[in-house]
Amino acid sequence: MNFKIFGAAVFTLATLLLNPVWAEESPAVDRTSTGGAQTLEDIMARQAQLEVDETFRSENLGDPSNAAPISDQLGTRGGRSDADIWRGVRYNEIDPSTQVRGPAVDVLIQDGGMPWYKLREGPVITYGGSAILGFVLLLVVFYFVRGKIRIEGGPAGITIERFKAIERFGHWLLAGSFIALALTGLITLMGRSFLIPVIGHEAFATLAVGSKWIHNNISWAFMLGLVMTFCMWLVHNIPNKLDWQWIKAGGGIFTKSHPPAKRFNAGQKIVFWTVMVLGFSVSLSGLSLLFPFEIPMFAETFGVMNSILGTDFPTVLAPHEEMQYANLWHSVIAFLMMLAIIAHIYIGTVGMEGAFDAMGNGQVDLEWARQHHNLWVDEVQAKQAKQGKGESS
Amino acid sequence: MLRKKTNGVAKGSRAGSLLSSLAAKTMDRRGFLAASGITVGGLAALSLPSARVEAATPSTGGGEIVRKKSVCTHCSVGCTVEAEVQNGVWTGQEPGWDSPFNMGAHCAKGAAVREHAHNDRRLKYPMKMVNGQWQKISWDQAINEIGDKMMQIREESGPDSVYWLGSAKHNNEQSYLFRKFAAYWGTNNVDHQARICHSTTVAGVANTWGYGAMTNSYNDIHNSKAIFVIGGNPAEAHPVSLLHILKAKEQNNAPLIVCDPRFTRTAAHADEYVRLRPGSDVALVWGILWHIFENKWEDQEFIRTRVYGMDDIREEVKRWNPTEVERVTGVPGAQLERVSRTLANNRPGTVIWCMGGTQHSNGNNNTRAYCILQLALGNMGVAGGGTNIFRGHDNVQGATDLGVLADTLPGYYGLSDGAWAHWARVWDEDLDWLKGRFPSFDKNGKTLAMMNENGITVSRWIDGVLEAKENLDQPDNTRAMVLWGHAPNSQTRMLEMKEAMEKLDLLVVVDPFPTVSAVLHDRKEGAYLLPATTQFETTGSVTASNRSLQWREKIFEPLFDSKVDHEIMKLFADKFGFTDRMFRNIAIEGDEPVIEDITREFNRGMWTIGYTGQSPERLKKHMAYQHHFDRTTLRAMGGPCDGDIYGMPWPCWGTPEMNHPGTPVLYDLSVPVSKGGLTFRARFGVERDGVNLLADGVYSKNSEIKDGYPEFTMQMLMDLGWDKDLTAEERASIDAVAGPETNWKTDLSGGIQRVAIKHECAPFGNAKARTIVWNFPDPVPLHREPLYTTRRDLVEDYPTYADKQFWRVPTLYESIQKKDFSKDFPIILTSGRLVEYEGGGDETRSNPWLAELQQDMFIEVNTRDANNLNIRDGKDVWVSGPEGGRIRVKAMVTERVGEGVAFMPFHFGGHLEGKDLRDKYPKGSDPYVLGESTNTIQTYGYDSVTQMQETKATLCSIMPA
Amino acid sequence: MALEGQARAKFLCDAERCIECNACVTACKNEHEVPWGINRRRVVTIEDGKPGERSISVACMHCSDAPCMAVCPTDCFYQTDDGVVLHSKDLCIGCGYCFYACPFGAPQFPQAGNFGSRGKMDKCTFCAGGPEEDNSTAEFNKYGRNRIAEGKLPICAEMCSTKALLAGDGNEVADIYRQRVVSRGFGSGAWGWGTAYEKKGA
Repeated sequence: MNFKIFGAAVFTLATLLLNPVWAEESPAVDRTSTGGAQTLEDIMARQAQLEVDETFRSENLGDPSNAAPISDQLGTRGGRSDADIWRGVRYNEIDPSTQVRGPAVDVLIQDGGMPWYKLREGPVITYGGSAILGFVLLLVVFYFVRGKIRIEGGPAGITIERFKAIERFGHWLLAGSFIALALTGLITLMGRSFLIPVIGHEAFATLAVGSKWIHNNISWAFMLGLVMTFCMWLVHNIPNKLDWQWIKAGGGIFTKSHPPAKRFNAGQKIVFWTVMVLGFSVSLSGLSLLFPFEIPMFAETFGVMNSILGTDFPTVLAPHEEMQYANLWHSVIAFLMMLAIIAHIYIGTVGMEGAFDAMGNGQVDLEWARQHHNLWVDEVQAKQAKQGKGESS
Repeated sequence: MLRKKTNGVAKGSRAGSLLSSLAAKTMDRRGFLAASGITVGGLAALSLPSARVEAATPSTGGGEIVRKKSVCTHCSVGCTVEAEVQNGVWTGQEPGWDSPFNMGAHCAKGAAVREHAHNDRRLKYPMKMVNGQWQKISWDQAINEIGDKMMQIREESGPDSVYWLGSAKHNNEQSYLFRKFAAYWGTNNVDHQARICHSTTVAGVANTWGYGAMTNSYNDIHNSKAIFVIGGNPAEAHPVSLLHILKAKEQNNAPLIVCDPRFTRTAAHADEYVRLRPGSDVALVWGILWHIFENKWEDQEFIRTRVYGMDDIREEVKRWNPTEVERVTGVPGAQLERVSRTLANNRPGTVIWCMGGTQHSNGNNNTRAYCILQLALGNMGVAGGGTNIFRGHDNVQGATDLGVLADTLPGYYGLSDGAWAHWARVWDEDLDWLKGRFPSFDKNGKTLAMMNENGITVSRWIDGVLEAKENLDQPDNTRAMVLWGHAPNSQTRMLEMKEAMEKLDLLVVVDPFPTVSAVLHDRKEGAYLLPATTQFETTGSVTASNRSLQWREKIFEPLFDSKVDHEIMKLFADKFGFTDRMFRNIAIEGDEPVIEDITREFNRGMWTIGYTGQSPERLKKHMAYQHHFDRTTLRAMGGPCDGDIYGMPWPCWGTPEMNHPGTPVLYDLSVPVSKGGLTFRARFGVERDGVNLLADGVYSKNSEIKDGYPEFTMQMLMDLGWDKDLTAEERASIDAVAGPETNWKTDLSGGIQRVAIKHECAPFGNAKARTIVWNFPDPVPLHREPLYTTRRDLVEDYPTYADKQFWRVPTLYESIQKKDFSKDFPIILTSGRLVEYEGGGDETRSNPWLAELQQDMFIEVNTRDANNLNIRDGKDVWVSGPEGGRIRVKAMVTERVGEGVAFMPFHFGGHLEGKDLRDKYPKGSDPYVLGESTNTIQTYGYDSVTQMQETKATLCSIMPA
Repeated sequence: MALEGQARAKFLCDAERCIECNACVTACKNEHEVPWGINRRRVVTIEDGKPGERSISVACMHCSDAPCMAVCPTDCFYQTDDGVVLHSKDLCIGCGYCFYACPFGAPQFPQAGNFGSRGKMDKCTFCAGGPEEDNSTAEFNKYGRNRIAEGKLPICAEMCSTKALLAGDGNEVADIYRQRVVSRGFGSGAWGWGTAYEKKGA
């Protein structure tokens, strides 16, 4: 499934950002003086934010197998000293048992938390946020340069039905829920940095609870809309050679020409597929966050990837780590999707005369249709003509 | 971050300054703390100005907080429970820092006892079984209906057909009253859990050196140089005892040696773990002694002066060379050689045992063997040594001492005419009237006065019901059963028990919880549940394992419609019409007998074991000044209890006025008797076959008799010319009893004891401990194979006993052992405790804080066996026993048990052969957690002296479910 | 960074002493009336049933620089100046991010509302309550008892059966543990005792 590929993408991004080029390797340390134990250099290196190779600790966990036989003196002690055990705990290299029942109770230490946090507070907010702002800015500029795409020779005045009510319903369900989800998502992600300083903790907490509630519940509407539109429009969105011409002509956005198109032109198909792919991906990760501990995905994904790409991503993940990946992945994809949708909104509204009606009342001006979807118009009219004959006879 | 820290400060500064100041306060005593192993918390709390602590404001608003002290009701360590009570509601539980026993510590159970105060799973009202349904009734109706039925049975079959099963959960007063009640009813068919927990210990140990109890104390283990635990898992059964054991381990570098078929949580902290085959304890101990004798590591002087019959032991031990020991126990000789050396090089060492040693058909042999090991090493009667026998329930020691047993009146006086005469005197009762309460019974020719005959034991009551009448040594079968604070699922042969319960005319359960007795059987009529209170709803004294008595305060009023046990006894006495006789010396307020009066009454009669000095006043004083007592010696330093030992561990000789401090370490010659020293008891005569049984030239400090001497009688005082020391009243009282024949046990004035101790002599004489108990089936302890064993080759060499009739019932040995079950039941099954639960578990499984931690009954199976049997960890399995019956439990695959051995905890109940009985409980009184009971498949097998059940070595087969 | 001259609340569990009796767990439930399914503290065992079996009791470690504080979207955590990490259930929205971030699995969530969504987070408070007024009913209902304000230390450590679990000022705790290790000498918790023992070759 494609979400796995995206998972890989996020992971690579993550790993890139986690082993940043600016944190250079610390010099090799000679530990003979401490009999292999940590030295002052190690500690200083860590404080200096250098990348310390910790295998000398993470792999020094004693050896249960070489413990004295149980009937020997001190045979009860096993092959590990307390120090070994604590290192084992630190690197989660022991599998403990406990009588307390609950999710992840047997994970003693997982240290994915801080990297996840850094990634989230850093790149995700910065790049994601600026990307959106930047893109909006870009469109504004484009608008003033290119202006509104008008219907040549003005509207014909005769309309033709482009989208049935059910189709429009599906579209608006998807669109509406997406906007709600995007906004509440952004509040949760960025509120602490941008809203709390302004409106204070209490007010924001109320806002955040609301956001969480909306986000968790509206998500179902989103998924429904996604499925509906997918089913209704799949057939019209199967790529064909016309799309190639259309793309070569750049959709005629810059040239005033109008490359031929059926019901959906290549541009719309791109939007369609982007929304579908990103939408399903974001939904899946959302589900695994909505039902913690129940739908882990990444360990499995990485397993598949390792077998295909020969990579060596971790295939054993603590539930916490699963959720860290899911969460990162959810926000990154959401940002990509927002970009796509912003573009879609632009072209569907201010960007092009007559376009909005398609989703407004479903009736589009015949002239507009001729210009942008000539082949489709021909089909429709042919159909009507047939029916017309039928009626007269 | 920084921003957050600052508003953190704003919010949290209050706490901040405080904790740092606590820290500052603790500096000075840190060293001591670390040493004695108390937490910083302990320190801090201790070093706080009490005002600060009391400043604790109620978390539930309103009403000032009252502090009450009680004692945990779960095991015999005797942890002090400090309750915060507010408007009569138990709102908080604080660590009992002042208690020298637990120093604030608790285990999972102790830390959760407050649940009792609002446990909604309690039995709330008297209930009656009406065509298969539990129906709420009134107390009057209950007492009347039960009483009438019992009197009818008494008419038809005699008093022995009603069985009074008491409890180790009763406090001393209630236990004493219960035994007295049975006497007034006219039967010796009265018993309690001690029978199935440490009866073999009591019998074995008492017959070795006089008293059948823990000789030292938990705290005294601080002085041990070595700790030898066999058949015990204190880390789970007595967790707080590890506080003391680990102290010795860490500070004396005392090696901790654990012998157990199971690598227990205690073994996990041991220096040496000896894995023996279940049921081979005697062989193991002889194996250790073999090395000790070989290398002359024994304490010859000690043996010469204080031990009788060690040569016969040497003879037996000679057979137990390393090869034979390994054949029988499976323990490599080299390891036992090392263990022996460790014990020899680290003296004094203490020996600790529990039910792993006692619950065998030759259990009394095991316990005596352990004693002999300590005698050979000369570890008896010294601080840090001794046999530290950890009792099970909170008051099983007290209930035993106060005679809730089928073979004795309170104080181990037995059932002889003399014993009855003594107690009749204490009770101001007309002896002939008492005699009239008991039937006599003609058994093949000779007439038995049932008054003097041992009753049926709790382990065998089902046979009292099921056995053919003519095979019983009593007039008729048991027809009415009263389970007064007893969990039936702690007893073997549960399928037969079900049958027995159904065959009874009357089944009465008196308990705070319905217990498995409410659901095991399929009765339609004739069953009653009476709600008793817990010990937190009443007051009274309780005896910890180390023989110390502690006084419980009432924390809150009885919940629901429940009544305290002594009130219920009084109501039955009313019904049977002997209240005025039975409570002659005991005031009654409303329907509740005054506890203090009961204490005083047994103070007046318990001379044998010195339960006479512990008056309610002294006990309450000890509780109030707990912090005055040293945490190792238990002796008060200054203050109103100056010189006393905490809780006045018995024997606390003479009258309360005599102010004896109690005896911290039994048989310790280095301390004067008046200060708590003691000699071995002269209990078995003065000589045997021309060999002197009295101590040889050794005596307790300052003793005026500088050699062994027999137990004191009036005659002896006169011969010594010490009778002049008696006061006129004492002499009068003595003459009233039996003149010169009056002895230290029957003298109600305590004069003989007082005078003997005045001359620093032990009232019970100064003798040798005996290693051969000539009145037992095996005078010299022998290894005998369990009834159900996989080792047929050993059955040849070490067969069990011949079948015999004792305790009124026929008892099978060889006729069971000679059948070979090992083909179909190849796995040895043993059972034991979990830390979260206790006994039958009805109480603890009804406590959500505990129940959440153990939600499934399980069986531990060794990895190799599991793989051979295709058993998966965590999956269900069927476990079947050789006597039929099978249970469905979860498999826990682990190295903890050895190959061919399986372990199950015995706390679960409420499932039967895969059937969930939850809906049979009275509505809303079902425990949170139910499960199969291991005893559904546990088998026949009883100790040759005490009828202790054999649960620690039987057979089973396991298959995936 | 450590504030010098300043007490820092810390837990330490002495693995040589912990016998997995779970007293800390039930004591905590008792003191704070923690409902079934929520475990502010848990005892975990290593090498269960095998030689080398050790147990440790774990709960919130009250980190000096706590990840949960960093990630909380509503910034509901705060730290007392002894370094006790507390949070406000009024601000908490139950998003679970602190659980993702916490290395020790300390945050606990009651099942609440729709689907798997979490209720307000609950965790070990070092028995220091929450933002409400000390020992107020409101504080008790949300966070349990405030023993620190009563001049006591956490109940789990105070009731520990073998005094394995230590709680209090980090320096105090460290000193006590150090003294124990010293008095045990080698053969117990000291670093590398295993090899040292074989060298001795007894």
